[in-house]
Amino acid sequence: MAAGRATLSLALTALALAVPAGSAWAQAASAKQDFAVSGNTPAVCTLQRGRIQAGGLVNIAGLDGDTLRIENLADRQTLATRAASATISFAAMCNFPHQVRIESQNNGLWPTDARQAIAVPGFATAVPYRASLAWGAVNGTLDAQANVRRQATSLTTVADPVVGDVLVRIEIAQGASNTQVNAPLVAGTYDDTVRIFLEPR
Amino acid sequence: MRKLTAMFSLVLALGGAAAAQAQEATGSTTDTKSLSVTGNVPAMCAGGTITSGAGTFPLGVLIDTTTGLLRTDLAAPDKVLAGSFCSTRSTITIGATALAAQNFTSTAPSGFSRSVDYTATAQGWTVTPAAYTTGAAANAAATQTRASAFSGDITVHIGDFATTGGAALRPVADNSYLGTVTITLATAN
Repeated sequence: MAAGRATLSLALTALALAVPAGSAWAQAASAKQDFAVSGNTPAVCTLQRGRIQAGGLVNIAGLDGDTLRIENLADRQTLATRAASATISFAAMCNFPHQVRIESQNNGLWPTDARQAIAVPGFATAVPYRASLAWGAVNGTLDAQANVRRQATSLTTVADPVVGDVLVRIEIAQGASNTQVNAPLVAGTYDDTVRIFLEPR
Repeated sequence: MRKLTAMFSLVLALGGAAAAQAQEATGSTTDTKSLSVTGNVPAMCAGGTITSGAGTFPLGVLIDTTTGLLRTDLAAPDKVLAGSFCSTRSTITIGATALAAQNFTSTAPSGFSRSVDYTATAQGWTVTPAAYTTGAAANAAATQTRASAFSGDITVHIGDFATTGGAALRPVADNSYLGTVTITLATAN
C-alpha cells in the first residue's frame, strides 16, 4: 500500500507541474474589473432677452424691455408710413436638432384701440412689416401682410444643434399700409407682438 | 547481466507481497526509500467583489439645463472592490474611456461636444493611487507597482469632469452617455 500511495503522489506532482503551461494559470495571473460610467444630456433650448444691434437702426427709438419702439410711425406731413428697421439679437442655444418658429400675433401693426381699426375710406388701418430671422445656418422670413388681423407663423427646421445669436430684423417699408402705398394712417397707437420659439421638431 | 538484476529487484519492491521475497533475496532486514513531496503556490491576483452597489457610476443629468454647459457639481459615489488580493509583487493599472454620446454619433457641430472627459483613480493598493485621465496625451500614473503580496480594498473614484474640447462647448443632447473604467491587477516579475 505504501508503494501505491507513493506512486499516486508522484503522479499528482507531475500534474501540478504541468499546469503553468495551461490557460488557467495565465488567467489567474491577473484580474480585471470594469465599471460603467453613465449619464445623459436632456434636450434643451435657451433664449435670452433681446438686445438691439447698434448698427442699422432706422427710425427706431430703442428697445424698452421687450418692446421695440418706433420713433415716428407716420410722416407728420402726409401721415404715410415712414420706413423703420432694427435688428434684435437673442443669445440662444439648442443642443439638439430643432425648429425655429417666428410668430406674429396680429399679422401686422394694428391699432391697439379696436375702434380705430374700422376701415375708413381713404385711410389705412394697419401696417405690414417683414421679420427676417437668421439662426445658425438657416434663415427664415415672416411677412406680416396686415391684410387680415390674425396670427401668422413662419417655421424653419434646423438639422443640428446650434449655439449663438438668433438675429431678428424688423423692417417696415416706406409708405406700407393695408390699403395702398402711402395711404395715410388712422391716428392711434399701433402694435404687434412677435414671438420667437426654439422648439423640438 | 548484473544491471538487469538490480532493475528487476526495484520493481518487486513496489509490488507489495513480492517485496518480501526480494528482501529475502538480498538478505537485508531494513530498507529505506526517500520520497520527495513538492507543491507550489501560483502567483495570482483576484479582483475582489464590488461592495458599494452595482458596477456603474451613475452621473445622471450632465448639464446645467439653464445654460446647456456641463454641470460643475458632477459626482458619483466611489466604488469599493473588497477582498482583492495578489499573492506576489503586483501592478495595478487603471484605464478609462471618455463619456461619449451613444446616439449622437456624428461629429458635433461648432460650439458642441459629444463627449466628457474625467479622471479615474484607484486607491488603497499602492501608496500612490493609480490615475487615468481620459483625453490626456499621456497617463504616466496609470500603472503603479506594489512590491509585496497584498490583500485589501480598492476604492475607485471618478472626478474632474470636463467637456471634451473645452469648457465653452456644450454637450449635445443624448439620453445615453457611456464610459468605462477598468481596473487590472496583475502579477509582476
